[in-house]
Amino acid sequence: MSSSSIEQRQTILTRTVLIGMAVIFMAPLLIAFLTSFKTPSEITRVLSIPSQLYWENYAIAFQRAGRTFLNSILITVPAVVLSLLIGAIAGYPLAYMRGSSGKVVYFILLTGMLVPFQIVQIPLFFLIQKIGLYDTIPGMWLVHTAYAVPFCTFFMRNFFASVPRSMYEAALIDGCSPNLYFWKLLLPASASGLAALAIIQSRAIWNDLLFAITLTTSDIARPATVAISGFASSLQVEYGPLMASTVVSIIPVMAAYLLFQKSFVRGLLGGAGK
Amino acid sequence: MAQPKSRLTRTDWTHIAFLALPAILFVTFYIYPVISSISLSLHDWDGFSPRMRFIGITNYTVLAGQPRFLHAVFNNILWVVFMLIVPTGIGLLLAAILDRGIRGEKAFRIIFFLPFTIPAVAVAAIWRWMYEPDNGLVTTVMNLLGLGSFAQNWLGDPSVVNFSLMGAVAWWTTGFAFLVFFAGLRNIPTECVEAARIEGATPWQVFWKVSFPLLWPSTIIVLGMAAIDAMRLFDVVWSMTKGGPAYSSEVLATQMYDLAFGRFDMGRASAVAVYLFIIAGIIIMPYIVYMSRRVQDSEAE
Repeated sequence: MSSSSIEQRQTILTRTVLIGMAVIFMAPLLIAFLTSFKTPSEITRVLSIPSQLYWENYAIAFQRAGRTFLNSILITVPAVVLSLLIGAIAGYPLAYMRGSSGKVVYFILLTGMLVPFQIVQIPLFFLIQKIGLYDTIPGMWLVHTAYAVPFCTFFMRNFFASVPRSMYEAALIDGCSPNLYFWKLLLPASASGLAALAIIQSRAIWNDLLFAITLTTSDIARPATVAISGFASSLQVEYGPLMASTVVSIIPVMAAYLLFQKSFVRGLLGGAGK
Repeated sequence: MAQPKSRLTRTDWTHIAFLALPAILFVTFYIYPVISSISLSLHDWDGFSPRMRFIGITNYTVLAGQPRFLHAVFNNILWVVFMLIVPTGIGLLLAAILDRGIRGEKAFRIIFFLPFTIPAVAVAAIWRWMYEPDNGLVTTVMNLLGLGSFAQNWLGDPSVVNFSLMGAVAWWTTGFAFLVFFAGLRNIPTECVEAARIEGATPWQVFWKVSFPLLWPSTIIVLGMAAIDAMRLFDVVWSMTKGGPAYSSEVLATQMYDLAFGRFDMGRASAVAVYLFIIAGIIIMPYIVYMSRRVQDSEAE
């Protein structure tokens, strides 16, 4: 038995496994995409290819949920920027502080990660109503930023800790203040970490249902996830328009990941390594 | 004047200034609501009336005797076990195979990660379509393979609904485990692997004896996140089944939501939330302690 034939057989086996898994991973997305272009009469034939591009589904989806997609964008973009900023300004001192006080603060912030959002849900509902931000987009910015504190701090702290400390010490010797060091040197040097976190956060915020369902009621602030969840759980589901709005909701984060995947993997390595 | 406080340097003040806003947010949005929920759970309140009636631990004792509640606890534990094993295991397998340098690696990497990027509500919508009892893809493929007799009413049968939901969630979350493991494998110095290979280790041995132990930082991240996600699980279940049929797929989060915003029983709902908090604490606290201790170790180096 030559070792090359064993190797060859192994390569064939791994390829088969990978291709099989790839088919399983792609099938649901493909089905959703195909279904979104089918006429009501074609829809029950799952495996068929749509005979024409039936845009009516998209028109209905736009009519019913167009505004909520706009809301999703208006909620997600600022909330991602704010949550990155808050994670960075909390992560910076925690990565550089000496002594135990920094560790205590870090530990307390980390415990936030184990809090199931359900335990804050009811008081949060009344709190947001009391400060007049119920059913508003700024209210959603505030909530998403606040609940990003533990994870973003954790992520940025670890990323900052992997930036060579000599850079910090050299800057201080040159007369740079700790404050300026953060804004002028550390933040620009952390671009890949911030990009990775931006993708994680866009996904979390764009995809959120729980806070949206609790804190919004009208089309003024309701994001697309609430609208889609409503379509999906109703008894009589119209799968054409539902799949159309689903496809639209999938595209932004998917596109962001494909565009930034290099820095995403690099940032993940920077944060997860060590 | 010479109080110890004035010894704080400019660096210390900068640190305090930077931490002020996160600290305020943390107190307002975590500590205050948690305390408030605990206090609410000791009351009988519909969310509207100006007066809340204090009833002590009645909410807790009533829940502990309810089959509906106990079933949700059981489901949550089932989800934790599932999330720790299935998406993690498949993710590790895919990462290990792909790390061996295969043509089209980039395309596979994107394909395996893509489902993770999509909203839970989209997962729910797509998989409700996949699971349509008559002409959904799952049933159709089973019919084509001659396995039609095993086809089920996937989301309508209390005895299979949880597994159907888990199938959708496995599809959705495996990408995260895969990517973290893949990044971790790429981070392993090639000399370690080469050395083992020269010593005559098989790929299987190289993986379990060399690569996997070095993957520990990735593993702990994946497991921790899986446990956290399992405890918080809400969106997929809510959008796919609303906890049904007959509460069979209910988890604590969906039960709590139903009690609070469907039945306006804020006290009982808060008690469910506190139970969830306690269970999550027991399961996830070791992870948090481990993470913060690892930070201290890495700084001591």
